[in-house]
Amino acid sequence: MQLRWLIPLGAAAALPAYHAAYAVQYLSVEQAQRAAFAQADGFVDVPLALTEAQRRALDQGEAALSISAPKIWQARAGQKNLGWLIVDQVIGKAEAISYALALDADGKIIALDVLEYRETHGAEIRLPAWRKQFLGKTAQYPLRLDNDIRNISGATLSCRHLTDGVRRLVQLYAQVLKPTSG
Amino acid sequence: MRAAFSISPVALAITLALGLAALPAAYAADNDEAALRAEVAELRAQLVELKHEVQQMHAAPAAVAPAVAATASAAPASVATLPANADAASLPGAAPMQSSILNTAASATTLYGYGEMNYTRPTKDKSATQADLARAVFGFIHAFDENTRIVSEFEWEHAVASADDQGEAEVEQLYIEHQLQPNYGVRAGLMLIPLGLLNEHHEPTNYYGVYRNFVETAIIPSTWREGGVSLYGNTEFGLNWSTGVTTGPDLSRWDPTSPEGRESPLGSIHQELQLAKARDPSVFAAANWQGIPGLTVGGGVFTGKIGQGQPGFLANNARLLLGEGHVRWQTGPFDLSALYTRGTISDTENLNLTFIGNPTPVPKSFWGGYVQGAWRAWEHDGSAIAPFVRYEEYNTAASYEAIPLGLGVDPLVTSKLWTAGVNYWLNPNVVFKADYQQFRNESDRNRFDLGVGFQF
Repeated sequence: MQLRWLIPLGAAAALPAYHAAYAVQYLSVEQAQRAAFAQADGFVDVPLALTEAQRRALDQGEAALSISAPKIWQARAGQKNLGWLIVDQVIGKAEAISYALALDADGKIIALDVLEYRETHGAEIRLPAWRKQFLGKTAQYPLRLDNDIRNISGATLSCRHLTDGVRRLVQLYAQVLKPTSG
Repeated sequence: MRAAFSISPVALAITLALGLAALPAAYAADNDEAALRAEVAELRAQLVELKHEVQQMHAAPAAVAPAVAATASAAPASVATLPANADAASLPGAAPMQSSILNTAASATTLYGYGEMNYTRPTKDKSATQADLARAVFGFIHAFDENTRIVSEFEWEHAVASADDQGEAEVEQLYIEHQLQPNYGVRAGLMLIPLGLLNEHHEPTNYYGVYRNFVETAIIPSTWREGGVSLYGNTEFGLNWSTGVTTGPDLSRWDPTSPEGRESPLGSIHQELQLAKARDPSVFAAANWQGIPGLTVGGGVFTGKIGQGQPGFLANNARLLLGEGHVRWQTGPFDLSALYTRGTISDTENLNLTFIGNPTPVPKSFWGGYVQGAWRAWEHDGSAIAPFVRYEEYNTAASYEAIPLGLGVDPLVTSKLWTAGVNYWLNPNVVFKADYQQFRNESDRNRFDLGVGFQF
C-alpha cells in the first residue's frame, strides 16, 4: 500500500496535461436525495425561472458566488410534499464546491451534504459536526459565519462561502418556493 | 461552455421535430377534430415548457454574470473554470464557471496569489523607519486528472531581486498531490511543513498584525518548506493528519559570526530545496482535531539529523527535534489562540568549540509561545474590524552545550512583547492593518506598524 502511489505519481509526471477537473466526489445527487428523504417515493423536478426582481433580491448583499442556477427537486410520498432538495455550487477559495441542501416541508434545514470538493485545503467542511450546525435552521436565522455558524480554522473561505450559499438557498425557499408551493 | 439547463439544443430540436411530425400522423390516424384539438393543446403545453427551458438557458448565464462581477468586491475572483467533465455533467444544473480573466472554458488551471506591503516606524529610532513591499506571490494549481494535480507558489520578497539587491525570488511550494481515496492522499515535491497555526496558512488575510508573530518566525521558521513525500488524510470525527519524509536543515551552513542564527536558528540553516544536502532525511508528523465546530487542537513534531554527513564536519550526529502544540477557539465574534513550541539540537559541543570567540554558537535549545485574543467588533457585508492583542515570549538560544573554562557565551535573555492592533478587512480578501509592538526588556525594538495585504 505504501508504495502504491509511486506508480501513479510516476505516470502523472509523464502524462501530457489534458483538461480535467480535480474533484473528489463524496456523494451523488441520488444518494443525497435518498439520505435526506428516505420516505420519498419520487422526486419532482422544480423548474426555476427567477424574475429579475427575485434575482436582484437574492443577490443583494450576498458574497456567495453562485456559479450555476441551483437545481431543485420536490420530495414526494404519494401526493404529500416532504420537502425540497436543492443542489448548488459555490466557490470555496478558488474552486467550486457542489453541495446539496435538504429542506423539510416548512423550509427547515434537515440535511447539508458536500457532493464534490476540489480545493487543496478546506475539505474539513465535510465534517459532520460542522454541517450539523445548520440543521433545524430556517430563513429566520442569520446563517452567517462567526455568528451562528462557527468557523473551521484553515478552511475559512470554504466555510464562509458555503454558509453564504446556504443562506441564499433558504432565502430562495422563503421568497420563491414557499409562495408557489401553496 | 455548457449552460445550466437540463435539455440540450439538440434534444430541443428533436423534441420539436417529433412534435411536429406527430401532427400529420395524429391527423391521419384520427380525423376527429376534438382529438386534434387535444393534440394541439398538448403540443402547445410542450412548447410552453420548451420556452420555459429556453428562458432558463438565457437566465443561467445572466445569473452568472452579476455573480462574477460581484467577485471583484466580495468573493475570490479566481481564474478557475470548471470543465464540463463527467463529474460536472453528473450534477444536473452544474455549469462550468465563466472565467473572469482567461475566458477559457474547461480549463483545469487555477491562478491565485497574495501580497503584502508594510510600513514600520521604530519609536526609539525614527531614522530606521522603513516601507517595504514584503511579498508578492502568485501560484497556480493544475489538475492533470480527477485525482492528480500540481500545486505551486512563486514569491518575490522585498520587491527587487538581483545581484545588487536584497530581495529574493523563490519557489515556495511545488508539489504533486494525488488523492488515493476521498479521505487520504499523497504529496511529493516542495511543500510546507504543517507545524503551528501559521506556516500552512500564511496569507496576510489569515493572521492578526502587520507581521507574522515572532514565535512562528524565529522558532518555527515560516514560511518553512522542505522537499520530500508525505501522506495526508482526514477522518469523519475531525482529525486531520499528515506525516512525511523530507529534507532538513543543513547545520554545516551555520555562521557563528552572523546575528542570523540568533534571529532564527532554523531560518539561518534552512535549505529551501536549493541544491539541498540530503544525506540525512528528516521526518515529520502533525495532526489537528477539529471535531467541535470552532475548535482546533493540534500539534506536530519534526526531527532529523542535520549534519548532512559532511566530510570533516564536527557535528554530523547533531539531531534537530522541534515540537509544537496549539489551540484555537473561534466562537461568535471571538478568536482566541495559544501556541507553544520548543526545539533542541544535540551534539553541538565539538562544533561550538571551534566557534569560541564568535557571538553566535549553535544553541542547544530554543523555544517560544504566545497567547492571542481578537474580537470582531464590527461586521457589515463582508467588511469587518477586529482589534486584537497578543503576548509572546521566545528565546532563540535558551541554552548552549557546556563549554570548558567559561569560554562559552551566555544564553540569550528571553524576548517578551505585547502586540496590540487592529485588522480591518475591506472584504474577506483585502485587509488593512495597524499595530504597536512593545518589548518588555528591549524597548529599543518598540515599533509602530502599518500594512495592507490581499489574497485571491
